Amino acid sequence: MNVQFKKGVLELCVLALTAWEDRYGYELAVSISHKFEVAVGSVYPLLNRLTLEGYFSTYLRESPEGPPRKYYKLTPLGHTHLMELTVEWRSFSQAVDQIIKEGVER
Amino acid sequence: MIRQQFLQELWELLAPVPEPIRRDWMYDYEEHFRIAVENGQSEEAAAVELGDPRQIAKELLLGYRVEQAADKNGSITHVSRAVLAAVSLGFFNLIFVLGPYIALLAVLISFYAVAGALCLSSLAAIYESVWGTELTYLQGSSLAAVLMGLGILTGVGTHRLARAVARMTLNYLRFNSRMITRGNKK
Repeated sequence: MNVQFKKGVLELCVLALTAWEDRYGYELAVSISHKFEVAVGSVYPLLNRLTLEGYFSTYLRESPEGPPRKYYKLTPLGHTHLMELTVEWRSFSQAVDQIIKEGVER
Repeated sequence: MIRQQFLQELWELLAPVPEPIRRDWMYDYEEHFRIAVENGQSEEAAAVELGDPRQIAKELLLGYRVEQAADKNGSITHVSRAVLAAVSLGFFNLIFVLGPYIALLAVLISFYAVAGALCLSSLAAIYESVWGTELTYLQGSSLAAVLMGLGILTGVGTHRLARAVARMTLNYLRFNSRMITRGNKK
């Protein structure tokens, strides 16, 4: 898939994965890169930026294997942002589906 | 070895960022190496997966500059730094970010110049009415008042415009940093 395309939705995916539970960076990077082929390395700078913008807060939590891990927690601001992006995405993908239907499957 | 090199390079590239934020960011990359190795991946593979530290640093710096400029209420110095950080991400941005920004700056400067010229010309009107022969005191002082008023209005208007330009630029940069393609494709 087109790289630009994926980058655009990466933010939405990262926010969506943290909606119900806090996750650590590696978990997010790997689960997203498995789903659709996006560079693992592009997830971390995104997480860092979203933290800077106030959508995430981070904390360290002990892990059974080795040193503590850094967890990302969605802030109320991040939650609002996720809701907005979801609505935008829904209407966008519905519009594209509609156009494909009319254009291809007539 | 590769892990050390990678982390060291990234650390040095992020020098403009205050240490607490820098440490916080570095933790992610350290953690990535640690968990990748625990999962049986080689350090080389983990480094390749992460991509070029220079590219990562550029992207992080852009985010930092934009937020900082927004915190400083869009001061021209900070906005310009953010613009330059965006430009360093690639040639594409030279045309679509730096070009329009310089054009806008030029417009702002010319408006400020107009404001300055109007204020100066009111002084000239006073001078003319006192030492010259063309204007009476009354004409001179009312002309000066009008010119000064226009100058101040233009100045205030331009100041507002500068604020708006700064805000727009930052929003555009935020939008842009979401869309910028990274060097390491997969």
